[in-house]
Amino acid sequence: MSIHFDRQSAEASFREVFSHLGAVTAYARRRGSRDPDGIAAEAMTIAWRRLDDVPQDDPLPWLYGTARNLVLAEARRSAPSAPAASADGKHVDQPPVELDPTLERALRGLSQLDREALLLVAWEDLTPGQAAKALGVSPVAFRVRLLRARRRLQASLEEAQTALPSPDLNHPDVEGT
Amino acid sequence: MKNDSTLAYLRRLNPVPHAASVDGAELFERITSLPQERPAPRRSTARRRVALVAVALAATAILATTAFAVANWFGDVVKPAVTKQEYKTAQSELTLPPGVTWPELNVDPNSVTSRGGGGSSAVMIAMGSWECYWADAIRSGDEQAQQRAHAELSSLFANHVVIAPAGASENWFPTGHAFPVVAFADDGGYQYKQQMYADAAAGRPKSLLQSCRANGP
Repeated sequence: MSIHFDRQSAEASFREVFSHLGAVTAYARRRGSRDPDGIAAEAMTIAWRRLDDVPQDDPLPWLYGTARNLVLAEARRSAPSAPAASADGKHVDQPPVELDPTLERALRGLSQLDREALLLVAWEDLTPGQAAKALGVSPVAFRVRLLRARRRLQASLEEAQTALPSPDLNHPDVEGT
Repeated sequence: MKNDSTLAYLRRLNPVPHAASVDGAELFERITSLPQERPAPRRSTARRRVALVAVALAATAILATTAFAVANWFGDVVKPAVTKQEYKTAQSELTLPPGVTWPELNVDPNSVTSRGGGGSSAVMIAMGSWECYWADAIRSGDEQAQQRAHAELSSLFANHVVIAPAGASENWFPTGHAFPVVAFADDGGYQYKQQMYADAAAGRPKSLLQSCRANGP
């Protein structure tokens, strides 16, 4: 952490943080937000206001952690009948991204933290160390959680395979943990 | 299927495989024009030790007494019943948007609160409710409701919000001010809200919508 003595140096530091805007927007979309642009803008606003809390060497886990809280808050607030709006007040009502139904069922069967642990590594491409920071847990605890989550998802998908046409699951992985 | 192939399967079904391409120049300018929070001053190790001892002593004292006794020691803290009564009294001084009702104020029965805290809670609830009412009016294009929300918030700030003096403690509370009142820390938050309302009134509601999302009822 560093202390920003003047506006200019703060803006220079924030520019690096802000370069992840696209990644945070994509994160919000992947997590089903109806207003991913708004979530990303809000995460960046929080990052600016609390710039001294944002790790300058690797801000992405912090940003994902913040965006996650915002997406969860959005989900708690959203009523089925309430239309979503973009940050400038125009209706967008953007539907959440569609997932493969088999995968969606399997992911829903996981706890929220297990699911997030898997997706931070698989979709956000974070290392286990970065993902641990995003979730605010120790790297050891994260690895245990990730292993357990993978096993649970695997079991759930195998169960689905017996009932549905087989998804092609036998693809070599490029990164194990 | 092996564990590794589970991750590979997940990766292949990533619904948004690439980061969004965003031109955020205007957003960058807008965000960096906002005030920042001041970093908390760091204490030396020796001061931290003194603080830890003080906290330990305070905790021991609190465990050995009742909340009421603590309230009497510090003088300006009150029991939950008083806080709840303040909250109820404040409701007659404040207006909520149409269709919004006062939520129940949850106060831990074994706790004490600064005198006036019940009124401050009511002011903050009214503020959040009017911000969301304004946000809804923007979404539905209801000009009249937008103007009303702006006027109510301006009145709320003029009559029930004060800024604590620079360097005042977290528990600072204005004396002699009309009830109910909430004290904002001298950290730019008050000015941030004012700017947010001015922006919303000028057709730039982004911050207001975000505030409603974060603080609304």
